[in-house]
Amino acid sequence: MASEGAANQYQVLEELGSGSFGVVYKAIDKSSGDVVAIKHIDLESSEDDIQEIQQEISVLSTCASPYVTQYRASFLRGHKLWIVMEYLGGGSCLDLVWGFTARPASRTDLLQLKPGSFNEAHIAIICRELLLGLEYLHQEGKIHRDIKAANVLLSDKGKVKLADFGVAAQLTNIKSQRNTFVGTPFWMAPEVIQQAGYDFKADIWSLGITAIELINGEPPNANVHPMKVLFLIPKAPAPRLEGNQYSKEFKDFVAQCLVKDCDRRPSAKELLRHKFIRSAGKVEALQELVERKQEWDGCRTRPSHPRFYEETLNNMKPKSEPDEWVFDTVKAPPSVAHRKSTTKRRKLSVIHANGQGVSSGVEESLKRLDLKDTPLEYSSPQSVTIKKGTVRRQPSIVQLTTPTKHRQVSSQKKPLQPDLSFGNTGSTVRVFRRVSDNSITTLVDSDASVTGSTRDENRPPMTANVTKEAVLGRRAFNKVMDPTFQELHAQTGNQEKREAISKLADAWTALDAIDPEGEYQLLKALIEKAQHDPKLASLLPTSRKVSNRDPTPQATPPSTPQRSGAKLVMAQSNPHLKSHRLRRSSVMPESDHREKLAHLPGQIVPGMEHTKQLSDVLYGRWAGALRNRWPAV
Amino acid sequence: MSFLFGRRPRTNTVDLSKQAREQILKLDGPGGAAKAEELAKTLSQMKYALQGTQEAEAAPDQVHSLVMGMIQEDLLYLLAVNLHRLPFESRKDTQVIFSHVFRFRPQSASPKSEPMALSYAITNRTEVFIELCNGYDHKESATPAGTVLREVLKNEQVAAIILYHEPVEGGGVNTKGLSGIQIDAKQSGKGVFWKFFKWIDQGSFEVGADAFTTFRELLTRHKSVVAQYLGTNFDLFFDQYNNTLVKSESYVTKRQSIKLLGEILLDRANYAVMTAYVDRGEHLKICMNLLRDERKMVQYEGFHVFKVFVANPHKSIAVQKILLINRDRLLVFLKHFLEDRTEDEQFIDEREFLIKQIKNMPPTPVEPTQKPAPLGSQSR
Repeated sequence: MASEGAANQYQVLEELGSGSFGVVYKAIDKSSGDVVAIKHIDLESSEDDIQEIQQEISVLSTCASPYVTQYRASFLRGHKLWIVMEYLGGGSCLDLVWGFTARPASRTDLLQLKPGSFNEAHIAIICRELLLGLEYLHQEGKIHRDIKAANVLLSDKGKVKLADFGVAAQLTNIKSQRNTFVGTPFWMAPEVIQQAGYDFKADIWSLGITAIELINGEPPNANVHPMKVLFLIPKAPAPRLEGNQYSKEFKDFVAQCLVKDCDRRPSAKELLRHKFIRSAGKVEALQELVERKQEWDGCRTRPSHPRFYEETLNNMKPKSEPDEWVFDTVKAPPSVAHRKSTTKRRKLSVIHANGQGVSSGVEESLKRLDLKDTPLEYSSPQSVTIKKGTVRRQPSIVQLTTPTKHRQVSSQKKPLQPDLSFGNTGSTVRVFRRVSDNSITTLVDSDASVTGSTRDENRPPMTANVTKEAVLGRRAFNKVMDPTFQELHAQTGNQEKREAISKLADAWTALDAIDPEGEYQLLKALIEKAQHDPKLASLLPTSRKVSNRDPTPQATPPSTPQRSGAKLVMAQSNPHLKSHRLRRSSVMPESDHREKLAHLPGQIVPGMEHTKQLSDVLYGRWAGALRNRWPAV
Repeated sequence: MSFLFGRRPRTNTVDLSKQAREQILKLDGPGGAAKAEELAKTLSQMKYALQGTQEAEAAPDQVHSLVMGMIQEDLLYLLAVNLHRLPFESRKDTQVIFSHVFRFRPQSASPKSEPMALSYAITNRTEVFIELCNGYDHKESATPAGTVLREVLKNEQVAAIILYHEPVEGGGVNTKGLSGIQIDAKQSGKGVFWKFFKWIDQGSFEVGADAFTTFRELLTRHKSVVAQYLGTNFDLFFDQYNNTLVKSESYVTKRQSIKLLGEILLDRANYAVMTAYVDRGEHLKICMNLLRDERKMVQYEGFHVFKVFVANPHKSIAVQKILLINRDRLLVFLKHFLEDRTEDEQFIDEREFLIKQIKNMPPTPVEPTQKPAPLGSQSR
């Protein structure tokens, strides 16, 4: 299955974004000159059966429709799988929904902002094209299972195509049903959630939700916790579009899609005859939107350094390590070859396996046996995240001579976090895990990725955490404890006190490294105890507020520091903050600081750029905290 | 497509098979391209006749006569042979046709009986299955052929036909069918099953991945057939398996085949195969080298094979020797082996267990009290 040569056929250009399980690059097919999109999947960081990834390829490769992103090829390069797809320059519909206003940073903003781009006429066109795509897929015995604006891509010409077949199903029999629980909660049909057997009609429901998303900027119940939504969808009456601002046809179309009883829900074919769809215009109307968006993107500071594809060290030269098992009783003189080229190593291993191995001295071998300097650091799935940073991050707060102010205001209110629960970015639920959980949320979840990559590049990806508690524990550390410590440390002036905090932070870091599950239990116990104390309980934020912000049930630390104005004044005079503001103002107009939030994983944003992104994230966090303290600002 | 069921006379479904046959046979002749287009139409009609549409169910008696027609015209064989030459949509249609035909039972038949076309192919036309395997020779036909294969492999007899296939000398047609299988005779290694090694390792990613999925199905689904087969062809099989798959240059082939090796060895039905496998020093060497592969997941999968050697209470002298020579290295190595898998309790337990086992080995090899179970016998 090796086909290293195939990769040379492509000139890989800049990164387009991170998809649900891998990084997507723009590239040129040298043989044809065509621009393509190539998804790189690091198989080493995936514990799952590789078969699951093959499933997506097999669904894609059997599709040939103008309404579905065209698959071109796939091949292996080392332990990376490259999937070559048609390139679509218009980005996803999700980019366009918030394209000109920037996605709101928080729920409060959402109330003030209105999604700008799509009117009903646009949505009718998109829905028609999607129905044509679904009609094709369903005829082929395929269910997409993850229809949402983020998975609908537009070409430069305004053509609408379905993308991301990561959880699609191929039925062998047109009448058969599925029970697997996959999709993204807010868009999931009730029958999928209930796992009572579902078929093609599940996609129709998701289409209805997507139509609402396109007009409102978010799916129904976006403010509800995704887990709670799973209970809500089967129980609550189907969502409807209401109000005079929508046409009767549009409202009826959405209502038709969102019929809770899937047997009474119309098929794609039937919906193509709906009045709303029949009166839809030509796709060229979308082209104008795409162009406007591109222009608008172009007006903003062009990224000075787009992230270009670089072969990772892993690809270039896998750590070589001489074999040192001794399979012969006769000992050869110690070989001193410390670093051998890969090819050499390969040859050696073959010889060994044949039983005539080169044996080396015991001492040498023992030295090399220390795995720490060899294979374990070989693959670091975090590298993607790391690349995004321009601001140098500090490995641990103890080593900081000057406190990092970057994250000092981050814990009470994290403007980035609502995005997750916000729904549009809610990651797709899969039956199987792919890559690390981190990579799915890389951009959104900047808090986790920043701390995660700072502290432990060699730590296994989240997938290595087996229990739910452990995952939550680590998450709590990344999102709550670590930032809180950093913040507290930064805000404390007294040297003695700072040291004390450092020690505590260190201890906690150690706990996190060894026993994230215990960490979770500890947090849980702390909170429970605090809740039961009538005086301390008032310290805790109401649980509802928490759940709105955070996609997974998670503990809030009782140790969140109380802030005072005095501290903030100090923070504001901090040079770091000044540089943020400077950067911010040089990068974009004052009012548009939220636009960067549109750069979310799973979307293909041309010319996405890391420098700006990180400073934006940091600024956004700072601004969010500011707003939290003085809502008037 | 409802017009198919309404206006057209019933005999038409039989005509479809005849029509398809003629069109296939003319693919080589002049105007082959035009014939391919006609054939595509015919196949698409057949598909709808068999599967029905979203609006209309297929009519059982129509399906019955169509299946009869296909058997008469030997269409299953012709389609399997020519699958890679069909246009894109027709290949998918053909896949659907196969899976419906191979599942169809007349209404009068007992639901437990074998579907009629499947039973016919098993007894009279085993080449259909062989040709479906040969679909892996071409990128175009790999996926549709593989999909059909995995469905029919649910049938034990089909698995046996593929495993025990031997090419007939002189290229003639094997008329013996299922009854011609001699389970005790060693394989020549020229049968279709042995081609899977090549398909898995040398095909493009899509072909290799699909072939591996089918290969796994062949080796894990029908346990007693496989245990017997591996016992009889132990040397040939593991020679191929280790040299072509486990040592493959392809990351996916390597990782998946190590994993499958672990599954095969740890399957109760393969007890005799397992004891024979872990008896050999060369096998242990391969395995120990996997532990030192530069890729973590290869190390990890290798560990699950390695543990079988160490946990074996009746280690052969050869195995003991290798472990003893490397005892100190192994103890140091294992202590830090994949130490970042802190959440994988089973792995940690097993690693501890192995360390203990190796530590407690007697300093010189001891004659095992029990020899490996005789190959070819089954565990039950």
